Amino acid sequence: MSTTPLMPSAVSRRRMLQLLGIGAGTAALAACAPSAPGSSTGAASAAATGGAKTDFAFSSWSFTEEAAAPALEAIVKAYQDQAGVTVKDISFPYNEYINQLTLQVKGGQFTGAAHVDVAWLGSLAAMGKLQDLSALTEGRGYTDAALAAAQFDGVQYGLPWTIGAIGLIGNSDLLEKVGVAGDAFPTTIDEFEKTLKDLKGLGGGLIPYAASTKAAQLKDALIWMETFGSPLVDGDTVTIGDDASVEAVTWYKSLYDQKLIAADVDRFDARSLFAQGRAAVYDDAPVGRGAVTEESPDKDLGSKLVPVSRPVLKAGDSPRALVWGGALAVVDGEGAETAADFAQFATSDLDTVLADYEVRGLPPVTTEAQQSEVVASDTFGTQFNERITATSTSNPFWAFTAYSQIETVVAEQVQAVLVGKTDAKTAMQKAGEAAQKLVG
Amino acid sequence: MLLLLPGVALLAGVVLYPLIAALVTAFFEQSLVLPGRTFVGLQNIVEVLQGDFLRLLRQTLVFTLGTTILPFVVGFALALALNTKIRGAKVLRGLMLIPWLVPGVVVSFLWMWIFNANYGVMNALLQTLGLVDDPQAWLAQPGTAMGAVILAKTWQSFPWMMVMLLAGLQTVPVELHEAAEMDGAGTVRRFFAITMPHLKGIVGLVLLLEFIWNFQHFDIIYVLTGGGPAGATQTFATAVYETAFQGYDLGKAGALGLLWMVLLMALVVVYVRFSEKGEER
Repeated sequence: MSTTPLMPSAVSRRRMLQLLGIGAGTAALAACAPSAPGSSTGAASAAATGGAKTDFAFSSWSFTEEAAAPALEAIVKAYQDQAGVTVKDISFPYNEYINQLTLQVKGGQFTGAAHVDVAWLGSLAAMGKLQDLSALTEGRGYTDAALAAAQFDGVQYGLPWTIGAIGLIGNSDLLEKVGVAGDAFPTTIDEFEKTLKDLKGLGGGLIPYAASTKAAQLKDALIWMETFGSPLVDGDTVTIGDDASVEAVTWYKSLYDQKLIAADVDRFDARSLFAQGRAAVYDDAPVGRGAVTEESPDKDLGSKLVPVSRPVLKAGDSPRALVWGGALAVVDGEGAETAADFAQFATSDLDTVLADYEVRGLPPVTTEAQQSEVVASDTFGTQFNERITATSTSNPFWAFTAYSQIETVVAEQVQAVLVGKTDAKTAMQKAGEAAQKLVG
Repeated sequence: MLLLLPGVALLAGVVLYPLIAALVTAFFEQSLVLPGRTFVGLQNIVEVLQGDFLRLLRQTLVFTLGTTILPFVVGFALALALNTKIRGAKVLRGLMLIPWLVPGVVVSFLWMWIFNANYGVMNALLQTLGLVDDPQAWLAQPGTAMGAVILAKTWQSFPWMMVMLLAGLQTVPVELHEAAEMDGAGTVRRFFAITMPHLKGIVGLVLLLEFIWNFQHFDIIYVLTGGGPAGATQTFATAVYETAFQGYDLGKAGALGLLWMVLLMALVVVYVRFSEKGEER
């Protein structure tokens, strides 16, 4: 009995060998090819506005976030109506955003306005396609601190949109159950750990601190390393692997082992757990407020949100917080001029900024907006500024173009410690060495 | 010859050029974001071979074997069941195809929700049954993450195996079974003496094709675990992506891709020889 094959053989063995030969030949040719000359990124072209308005693309991760998307859609609509152009919106989720944007910019598929985390400016600027927006900052009332946060290497690669910080946010209801008033949050690490244990004692599957444990957001461990006294980098020398960073990761692992923090959590899981009342404390920027209150079955959760200063190693230390901010960058090419005009409009037009604040609650960047009644009367925003943003510092790795790779190698090593694949000392030494190679 | 030109041009533009361009980067030090590149010969390949290559090969093989054998066992069992005269077999066959029709990313999100440590269905079920005391982090522990990923991929690919094997089963002549039964052969004897020899060709083909596809599989692993925790589910596919688009190191990614392709070519040669044997039979 014969069997008919389901698919006929399309390629003979001889043909296969020929193809392999072609492949080998190609590799050999590649080896003989001349090296392309290395080149620097070159100066950024200066942005200008004022010409005829044209259609352009605008990319932002916030289009994918249910709570934030309406604010962006309103800004885009207002600009379209005013300028008579069409804005094409493009979006990727935050955790994938920088990779996708980089690919699109590198491949020339994206030009226009791009919402960026200020941490990414170095990596994006290295491609040499971002415009210098300094001419667009004149007379718009941006604060000096905000402008500085959206610069890389002294060049204004972004117009600041919102500059704040990432800090701890607590649920006052849950904290009060263990005798902690919102304005009397533990100030030292030891007190903080005791409070977490008390919260764990409440039972019901409560996660005391929904800290990041997934690699995508384990950059949060860096701020704890700084809290324990590691500078992370000193000049061009990476200090991860020093005693302070090892102690910080050892402590983080002890929280994990005691189930005071939970496995499999990133920022979005943390928001979800906090919104459901299943987590008492988590790390977030002010933007998280909209997401947790919208998602929560507790319609009163907004009034229970308490921004608190991060505990310190010993009394008297200054609490650490990481600057977090969004900026609008302009990628050179088709529609860039109008995109620059849009970036200026979205970040500094008072009515637009205040309308945005009411939806997203993100700290504005112009003096006029910051002093407005809407912003000044917002208790959560004011407390966040006083307790968290006031002592925030930028991540020292942002000064390097390989920032996101450095963050990835450190996060992978911290995760290896959490899951018990290695010890904190070995992991931090490895992370430090890998980061040093990237710093150069 | 002229008639072939459009096809050849299309193949060259769409397949050969991108493939060769990607492989050529293996011989250069090249960043995704920085302009320029420097020829470094075999340095990237040597570094990859001295680095994580063996670990990646081992993990890729674990994933590939797991996601080939498990769906085969499940698919074969279901094909045998559906090949009997049970009521509603046609409806069941249609329903069981659903997982295969669902896009990989959707499958991943579905299983991510099932396996989630803090609000997943799996933990809720096991806790209700009293099989675990505390929620387990299925995707966040090195000991369970690969198993969880294999399970998710199995759910997606068993229907294809089932349909192929069922098609093969339906070509086995009924007379042979009837004659053997009259000669006193039982179900097991008939299965091994008649059914299996008849299915040898199709079993070999589906196992080989599934192995090749799984050797290159990306989406479910990437969405479920991103290759983690701590690299425990990293395969060649996710490692190339991570090296190129998170590490921005196109040269190393190209070297990994080149080695990966050499291994795949070996599998393709096996497939071609297998197909040729099938033709000869």
